[in-house]
Amino acid sequence: MTLPLAHIGHYLWVLYILPVGFVVIGIVKTTLSEKRRGREEDSDEDSD
Amino acid sequence: MSWLPFAHALVARQDLPIPAWLFAWGASIVLIASFFALSAAWRQPRFEEVHWRSLGAGLSRLLLSRPLQVFCGLLGVFLLGVAIYTGLHGTEAPDRNFALTFLFVTTWLGFPFFSALLGNIFRPLNPWRAVGRASGAGFRAIAGQRPTHLAYPEQLGRWPAAIGLLAVVWLEVVYGSSGGVAVGLAPATAATAALFYSVYTLAMMGLFGVEKWCERGEVFSVYFGMFSQLGLFAVRGGVLGRRRPLAAATHCATLPGSAAVVIASIASTSFDGGQEGAFKSAIESVFNWFVDRGVGLTASLRLTDTIFMLACFAGVGLVYLLGVRGMRTVRGAPSLSQLRIGFAHTLIPIALAYLVAHYFSLFVFQEQAQFTYLLSDPLGTATTDLFGTASGGVDFTILSANAIWYVQVGALVVGHVLGLTLAHDRALVYWPDYRQAARSQYWMLAVMVAFTCFGLYLLSVSNA
Repeated sequence: MTLPLAHIGHYLWVLYILPVGFVVIGIVKTTLSEKRRGREEDSDEDSD
Repeated sequence: MSWLPFAHALVARQDLPIPAWLFAWGASIVLIASFFALSAAWRQPRFEEVHWRSLGAGLSRLLLSRPLQVFCGLLGVFLLGVAIYTGLHGTEAPDRNFALTFLFVTTWLGFPFFSALLGNIFRPLNPWRAVGRASGAGFRAIAGQRPTHLAYPEQLGRWPAAIGLLAVVWLEVVYGSSGGVAVGLAPATAATAALFYSVYTLAMMGLFGVEKWCERGEVFSVYFGMFSQLGLFAVRGGVLGRRRPLAAATHCATLPGSAAVVIASIASTSFDGGQEGAFKSAIESVFNWFVDRGVGLTASLRLTDTIFMLACFAGVGLVYLLGVRGMRTVRGAPSLSQLRIGFAHTLIPIALAYLVAHYFSLFVFQEQAQFTYLLSDPLGTATTDLFGTASGGVDFTILSANAIWYVQVGALVVGHVLGLTLAHDRALVYWPDYRQAARSQYWMLAVMVAFTCFGLYLLSVSNA
């Protein structure tokens, strides 16, 4: 089977977007986990 | 030599050891590593103080002396006069006429590069400032009093300069867009525009005062002055001194419109880089849409390019605002407008990096023309040889395609690391806890990675 690669050059921009995507995903993940940790610490303080 | 290169044209194809997109990944990794290094090791703001030190009274007296200032002013006026004269009376061939290369390459690209290294070198050479000051001195001598001026509307800030900057670039890359030469504008059009701009600038200086207009509205003073804030030397209280590089930038973007100036710079370079490459097919689609609706060919092209240029401005501004908006989510953050103004200076090294990356090769090639045949035969009529260099040409072999690419990648990486450093330093002012400061910079890291990858993408497509 021949892969339809004739126009793959048109999609090279995806490879330039990927690093940005990884950084944004990392930031969102870190921010959410920090917020969750903050909420947990607040609830621990309340229960004490 | 009747053919000169596009901004991104190369004399040979690149022969890179790895695909171009991998450089974007590598640059992103460098930025992420720099971010973690800054977060761990940089815990106090270091750029808020300029650390200015005098270079000695003797050197200041010499370099800032009245005769030298008058000489520099006269030189600026003379060179502007030569550019206007050659533009109006020289050949219509853009690449043979002194005016275009002098205005759009030597001046427009040269001053940002050298100002970023040395400081505000345009100020003494500014022809409009020289004429304005001479007129003010003449007025004082005749009337026996200082000229009075209107109060500048402070809410305008540097917006006139930001709009003027877009207008200058529009003139060059949209209005003058035509095939195969470095600057396609007709020399007479450039000279007429320079005349018009001179009248406008002198009128504004008359209305609001020379120094006030230079600081806020005069496009070239504001634009070159912005890059000079990164430079090593500065005059303070009439004394020449040395300062910490980059530090002065932390205080230069406080006026309204300052962020717009630096965003306009990045956007216009992006547009110029993308119009023949990454944006080409999209531009063609919009162009065809206008043509199909009966709009003339030239009007369609200019309209399309204008839309894309404004879209670049909006896009770059939006990415910056997203970074600022992200910072706002961190506990203890100042207001959005404070953040927007407070971090605008961090884009200055990026604007410079974009300029170097996009125009470095053009500058190196075109300056050979400037200092050989354009200098000896400024009218381009092949009738003069003032310095015996009229038969000189451009040696395209002095830069290989690979060397240009490595300079482009290096400029973008260094510029963005410097931007990241300035942003981290400013964050430490707003969030004295270095952990919070680092947290606030997550989104600026994303902005920097986005600008780096976008810049490399534009260049890789243009170079392909």
